Amino acid sequence: MTATNPTTDAAHQKIAITVDHLVKCFAEIEVLQDVSLAVPEGTVTSIIGSSGSGKSTLLRCLNLLERPDSGEVCIAGERFQFGNGQRIAHSDLERLRSRVTMVFQQFNLWPHLSALGNVIEAPRHVKRLGRRQARQLGEHYLEKVGMIDKRDTYPVALSGGQQQRVAIARALAMEPEILLFDEPTSALDPELVSEVLSVIRDLADEGRTMLLVTHEMHFAREVSDQVVYLDTGRIEVAGTPESVFNDPRCQKFASPTA
Amino acid sequence: MNYSWLSDPFYQEYLWTGFVNTLWLVAVSATAGLALAVLTALARLRGPRPIAWLASAYVTVIRGTPLLVQLFFFYYGVGRLMEGVPGLRESWFWPIVREPFFFGALTFTLSVGAYSGEIFRGAMQSVPAGELEAGRAFGLSPWQILYRLWLPRAFQIGLPSLTGEMILLLKSVPLVSTIAVMDLLQAANIVRDETFLVYEPLLLITGIYLAIVILLTLVMRTVERSFPGVRATQGRWLPMRRL
Ligand SMILES: Nc1ncnc2c1ncn2[C@@H]1O[C@H](COP(=O)(O)OP(=O)(O)OP(=O)(O)O)[C@@H](O)[C@H]1O
Ligand SMILES: [Mg+2]
Repeated sequence: MTATNPTTDAAHQKIAITVDHLVKCFAEIEVLQDVSLAVPEGTVTSIIGSSGSGKSTLLRCLNLLERPDSGEVCIAGERFQFGNGQRIAHSDLERLRSRVTMVFQQFNLWPHLSALGNVIEAPRHVKRLGRRQARQLGEHYLEKVGMIDKRDTYPVALSGGQQQRVAIARALAMEPEILLFDEPTSALDPELVSEVLSVIRDLADEGRTMLLVTHEMHFAREVSDQVVYLDTGRIEVAGTPESVFNDPRCQKFASPTA
Repeated sequence: MNYSWLSDPFYQEYLWTGFVNTLWLVAVSATAGLALAVLTALARLRGPRPIAWLASAYVTVIRGTPLLVQLFFFYYGVGRLMEGVPGLRESWFWPIVREPFFFGALTFTLSVGAYSGEIFRGAMQSVPAGELEAGRAFGLSPWQILYRLWLPRAFQIGLPSLTGEMILLLKSVPLVSTIAVMDLLQAANIVRDETFLVYEPLLLITGIYLAIVILLTLVMRTVERSFPGVRATQGRWLPMRRL
């Protein structure tokens, strides 16, 4: 695990995501207030913060599940400016979402499709891969998350941890440049958390660009290159895991578990 | 009990025609009605305001008036009006459109569209939002989300209630005997009028209806069970293996 410091390495590293003065409101309430952030390629950034601080909203603004009100996002080579009333074409969205995929807290697998069916759905119908090619791809990534034996099993017959591993395979099968994780272990029974974390740790070790919202402080400290502490829609502290977890401003939030 | 008339080829012919017509009416109205139901549900959930309003008015009117009255309305009202439309009598579809069968199918289709449309709307709404959001997050188009994720899941959820609707449809069919369609009841009426036997023909067609309903239920249950993944039981999700 290379715990690189983004401030010193920034000069050599390409930036995968830049967020500039991002604002998102829900009914007059600014859920994100002027958020700016840079994520270098091949690094892991964890977003921590208390419930309702806007972590999910920030993540969802990156793949445009939420449309920000103003600011700018550059992600996977695409630049999106908000607040100028511009429409975003479906083809741009489709390209963005093939390059930036997401793993959800509630897994959100499609119950009428088998594990393999879930994994190859988007490669088949968004990337329009052939059946055989998609199947190979799907099996490859199910293998990677240790779920190849369950390829024909439907989500109801899988444990939470297994469902989340299939969901990770689904996100990997698009061969994205960036992976977004929104509290991937929060809906899991405690004994199932580690199997999912170990898959995520392997991905971090591969040098994938990942953004991870999590309440697992130990894990965040261990895998992250950068930690961002979000408080009521504002980035309160950002930096290396050590610097953030030792910062007095997030002591009250992070210290009991860290 | 006197069933000697059953050996008369004339009555056999009537009963057979009644049986076939009954099944045809169910098949045609169920198919067209379910298509209409999907459109109605979609219009109410996602349509632009005037269309959503129109769909809702349609549902209110159909569900708010008696089926028999609707049947008469279409057969006597609309049917007569159509005779006055210039050129219609000469057109190729006039022979279809002047048949009482057509008005029966039309009425039942509209009825299924309204009742099942509401069931379908509820089913579509109870598909967890996260599943559709996952579709968006992976770049599926709104159209793909609709036909690859939303509709299949809504069918799965709504299937048990839709089975009930199909049974109600079958049992509405005897109403068409009032507009001179040769259905099972009409056949039984003819037997009664000619042989002065009241109970025997009624008992026979009752048995036939019951047999069709049982068959229909079994078929629908098989469809429900063979739906991939899960089966909905009164709003709860049960894994296949526990059934
Ligand atoms: N669709 C929405 N409509 C209105 N308000 C919303 C919506 N989504 C989120 N919010 C509000 O925005 C705020 C931030 O929500 P968000 O889900 O981003 O928080 P979070 O940091 O992810 O919290 P948690 O740790 O509980 O997941 C909350 O106050 C929430 O009520
Ligand atoms: Mg959240």
